[in-house]
Amino acid sequence: MQALLQQVVSGIAIGGIFASLALALVLIYNAMGLVNFAQGEMAMLATFVAYALINRGMSYWIVFPVTLVLAFGGGIVIQRVVIRPVERAPILTLVIITLGLATLLNGLAGFMFGYVPRSFPSAFSAQTIDLLGVFISYRDLGVMGVSGLVLLAVYLLLQRTTVGLTLRAAAHHPEASRLLGVQVSWMLALGWGLASAVGAVSGIMVAPILFLEPNMMQSIIIYAFAAAVLGGIESPLGAVVGGLIVGVTVNLAGAYIPFVGGDLQLAVGLAIIIVVLIIRPNGLFGRAATRRV
Amino acid sequence: MTALLEMKEVHAGYGQTSVLHGVSLVVPEGGIVSLLGANGAGKTTTLRAITGGVRWSGDIKFGGRSLRRMSTEDVVRGGIAHVPEGRGILTELTVDENLKLGSHLRRDGAEVRKDYDRVFEYFPVLKERRRLSASTLSGGEQQMLALARAFLMKPRLMLLDEPSLGLAPMIVRSIFEIIRSINQSSRVTVLLVEQNARIALDLSTHAYVLEVGRVAVEGESEELQGNESVRRSYLGY
Repeated sequence: MQALLQQVVSGIAIGGIFASLALALVLIYNAMGLVNFAQGEMAMLATFVAYALINRGMSYWIVFPVTLVLAFGGGIVIQRVVIRPVERAPILTLVIITLGLATLLNGLAGFMFGYVPRSFPSAFSAQTIDLLGVFISYRDLGVMGVSGLVLLAVYLLLQRTTVGLTLRAAAHHPEASRLLGVQVSWMLALGWGLASAVGAVSGIMVAPILFLEPNMMQSIIIYAFAAAVLGGIESPLGAVVGGLIVGVTVNLAGAYIPFVGGDLQLAVGLAIIIVVLIIRPNGLFGRAATRRV
Repeated sequence: MTALLEMKEVHAGYGQTSVLHGVSLVVPEGGIVSLLGANGAGKTTTLRAITGGVRWSGDIKFGGRSLRRMSTEDVVRGGIAHVPEGRGILTELTVDENLKLGSHLRRDGAEVRKDYDRVFEYFPVLKERRRLSASTLSGGEQQMLALARAFLMKPRLMLLDEPSLGLAPMIVRSIFEIIRSINQSSRVTVLLVEQNARIALDLSTHAYVLEVGRVAVEGESEELQGNESVRRSYLGY
């Protein structure tokens, strides 16, 4: 029982990381109906930026917000330079562009930083404390805390501020929003910036666990897809819940299903995507897609 | 009276299909002007041209300034509230959030609060449903929300696209009364597109009748109402 709880708790911690990246996917999906396949690579590059800053002797807690701001700016630049010229292109074109962007960013990181895995510092120690019989590392607690704060901040931004309101309006009804004076094109850019910053959090949180290298996010993005799909791809809350469920499921499967172990955990993530799409394509929180014909 | 909105020889269309073939009209400051005509005559396209929702050529001036090459957002920020066909309600959002989108660009906080009071005086039902999703409103209530939101934008000119569409006659009457009152007490100029010519002519001072993308008849509303042949051939009552 205790071992089970142990697995659940560490699943929640890793699930928080999936949730951040899944939320980034949902933000862009909502803004333009597009799954951004480059989201993981954008997060990876942001993590390398953080790494470079830390190596220059800056303190972790200064680097963290600075990286988020840079990632935010980078997301806006990518939207303006790469996405905006093809905004009205068919969705398949956009998908291929994000795939190309992923490859490009991956190669760029390899070119600049090499492919040798590097250890990335964590702000929290790996020591564990005993919480009601379950051992939790400060690192896991820190990951949960930071992910939770970021998700809360995004929630408050979207639901409680005027900018958040116009962001949601532009995402759902671009035409009607324009008639209310909302600058829809800039709202899309803002959405990309926000997604990029939220995704960067997942990169920074996962790097101490996985080691930093250009391919670091390639498994995490699969779990994030699983989380987003499970949550209903359109729902920010769904992304968070989905992330936690995927984290716990994957962790439990690795611990208790003998042939899964550590090696087939990724397959569990993919299985979740397939099962959700077959059984409940709208996910847990998604609305049924209706279309006039 | 000075002209607030002036269209000169405006041509517009969608892709290869042209819809407006040289429409000229004037909306005087403080007035209510009706734009009438059958389905497909180009009424909606005329409104869309004004707020930049469709490509056009010719000239459109608002308050003396040309609207040529201006984006929809900039036209709207310049003081034109457009309640489009289908009302443009954001059904994923609450009633309150829809209203806030109307006032979100304004910086005159005290005035905004007064205008909210006005809006809830006009439409008490919106106050009751503030926290509900806008998708739960009936057609009439959605029309009220659209009108309330447009009022909160504090526009100089309101473009209303068929506010009577699909509503019960009693609700139509009360909505038109409120349009009149917004026009009179807040000095908002109105350009009203309607199929229901009778009720539109009752409200407006001036009217234009479009026929296949051209102005077929224009004049004082009273005059058109009194003219039997115009009524029969263009207004259908």
